[in-house]
Order: sequence, then C-alpha cells, then structure tokens
Amino acid sequence: MDERRSDLKRIIMDTKTLPTLPGVITKLNSLSENDKASVQEMARIVASDQVLSARILRLANSPSYGFYRVSTISNAMILLGVNVVKSLALSSSIFEIMEKNSIGLWEHSLGVATAANITAKKLGIPEVEEIATAGLLHDIGKVIIGLKCTDEMLDIRHAIETDELYILEAERQILDTDHAEVGGWLAKSWYLPDKLSEPISFHHNLIKSDSHRVKAAVVHFADVLIKASAFGDSGDPYVPMIDPLAWEVLKLDEKLVEDIVAELEDKLIEVKNFSLEMQIADATEA
Amino acid sequence: MQKIPLNLAEAEMVLARDVFRNDSPAGIPICGKGTTLTDSLIGRLAHLGVQSIYVEGHPVQQEGERSLEEQLADLERRFSKTGANRYNQVLLDVYRKHITTMMGEDGGRTAE
Repeated sequence: MDERRSDLKRIIMDTKTLPTLPGVITKLNSLSENDKASVQEMARIVASDQVLSARILRLANSPSYGFYRVSTISNAMILLGVNVVKSLALSSSIFEIMEKNSIGLWEHSLGVATAANITAKKLGIPEVEEIATAGLLHDIGKVIIGLKCTDEMLDIRHAIETDELYILEAERQILDTDHAEVGGWLAKSWYLPDKLSEPISFHHNLIKSDSHRVKAAVVHFADVLIKASAFGDSGDPYVPMIDPLAWEVLKLDEKLVEDIVAELEDKLIEVKNFSLEMQIADATEA
Repeated sequence: MQKIPLNLAEAEMVLARDVFRNDSPAGIPICGKGTTLTDSLIGRLAHLGVQSIYVEGHPVQQEGERSLEEQLADLERRFSKTGANRYNQVLLDVYRKHITTMMGEDGGRTAE
C-alpha cells in the first residue's frame, strides 16, 4: 500500500526531476549558512538574475504583503526578511507553473497569503511576512502532484465530483498521500526553515505541528477563509472544517472573525486585480 | 453598502465609509462618511488619486453580479459539509451578515 507513496516521495525528493531551480539559489544557500554574509551581499546575488528579481519584486509589492513600495531586492530583504526572499526565489518556478497551468490555484494561494497576513496582523502575531509566505506556499504540493501524477489527477478530480470529497480525501484515497505531505517533502528538499515547512506540512493537521503551531494555525484558518470567500480554486468547492485547536491557539472570537472577514473581502478585490495584471504582463512578455 | 470604482460614482450617492488618500489608508480621511456626492466632489476625489469608494445601498448593478439570494445559497452550499462544526457555524454567520451588508441590506448590523 505504501509503494505508491514511497515512489512518489522518491520522485519528488529527486531534485533532478523538479522544476529547475535558479542558479543563484545555490549561491544563496551557501551564503546564508555563513553568518557574516551581509544582507547587501545576498541582495547583490539575487539582483544579478534580472528575471528572478523582477518576479520577486512583483510579489513583494502584491497585496499579499501589503508594502507596495519595495523597489529593490535589498529593500525586499530588509522589509520581508532574508528567509522570505529566499523562499520566493526558490518557489518562483513553481509559481510560474501555477500561473500558467492553474490560475485558480495561484489565486487561491495569493488569497491565502493575504488572509494569513491580515489574520496575523489583526491578532498581533509576530513574523507576519513569514506567515504570509507560508500561505503563498501552502499548496505547492498540489502543483507537484499535478506535474508528476497527471493520470491520477483525473481520478482525483473524478472522485471529488462524484463522491463530493475534499481534494485532501481524494488524494489520500488515490495516492496514499496528500498535497500537504508532498509540499512538506518539497520544503525539506529545499531546506526551507521549519517556520515555513511546518505550516505547509500541517495546515490540515495542526496537532502534528510542534514548534510553529501558531503559524500553521493562521495558514489553516486563512485557507478556510479563502474557501468561504470562494476566491480562486483549490480543487474542491467546500469550506474545510475549522480545527478547534486553531480557534484555541489563535484565541478567535466572533468579533475578531468579523473584522478579519470585512478586511479580507475588501482586499480580495485588489488581489484579483493583481492576478489579472500579472496575467496581462506575462502575456505581453511571451 | 457597496464598494464601487470611482468612475462609476454619481452625484447624490452617499458615502458609507470615510475616504482616505489612496497612498495612506491609515491617515486622515479626506471626506467623511454620510457625505452626499456631487460632480465637483467626485472630480476632486479623482484628482487626489482615489480609486474606489464605499456608498450606501447597492446603487450599481455590475454585470454578472448575483442576487443576494443566489449569493447566500452559494454560501450555504460551500458550508454544506461542515454545518455541524460550531466554529464553522460562527464563520457562516459572519459571512452571511457580511454579504447581506454588502448587498445593501443592513442585516441587523450596527453602522460602522
């Protein structure tokens, strides 16, 4: 029974079959291990790849982060943090695939990042930018499954429709694994810090998140909100069950949720515009 | 209450929320809620770079827009698998109220 799962894991952990990583990442990875590497030095390395820099800056200025005036990579590193810029660089090829092949999932991801940002800010949770980035990345597993298991994806879609399943249930039924686990494998193979990989791995299973449960809870709740807002397309039309643990660790109440929903619904118009602008920009580039 | 792009604003519409300068949403409002719009006021807002405003009621019918009843039915359908969870119930209520307010009914909510 576990054969499929380990096969899939092997394929995914084999970086050779993954979407190509920009060369600057290797340089960046070797640098950040060294504590003396300055932000400026790292910024110079990223900035040497113009296409990558443009993509990172575009996202840094998206409503998901809410800064709007990030004009240089070193600026982005200071405002968003080195971890965030590195993660955006690492995932830029995955985002590109999302934008091209599944705009619905891309909009869902942008939406969850935005909802995570608003929720974290409203609740006064630190490291807002990391949490928003985890929101942006939470469904990368779906992209990998879509790339590596094209045949099974048809079965998954079929099961969602006929049996009214959540995509998570359908994935487990057909692949013996799910997008959260696959996303976790990918995050590990990229050496993403735990504060990003835990929310990716456990946004459907908070109890397993040990060291970053609050961050995972924000991403879980943000995912629920975006499904309730019917923004984008994450594979099924159903609002997930809110994990009581999330309600508890985030100390949510009706008034807070009301405020968050009002702010989010307002912001989602901007997110939609952002996504449309990106599509237009990409169409003219090509 | 409805959010509309400024180019669809017309005289006689009433602001439902304060208007801020586009680049400083946390700053001082440039026009208070309850103000009745005039053509010259709309012109001035446009000049200040304001892109969208909130107005009372639901004066602009956008193309493809669904009615309140349709939107609420869609909402119930999205929540159909989780109705029994009490936290989801709270969230469903919040969304119901929000959609009702945005469609111009006050939905029992106090003015903001």
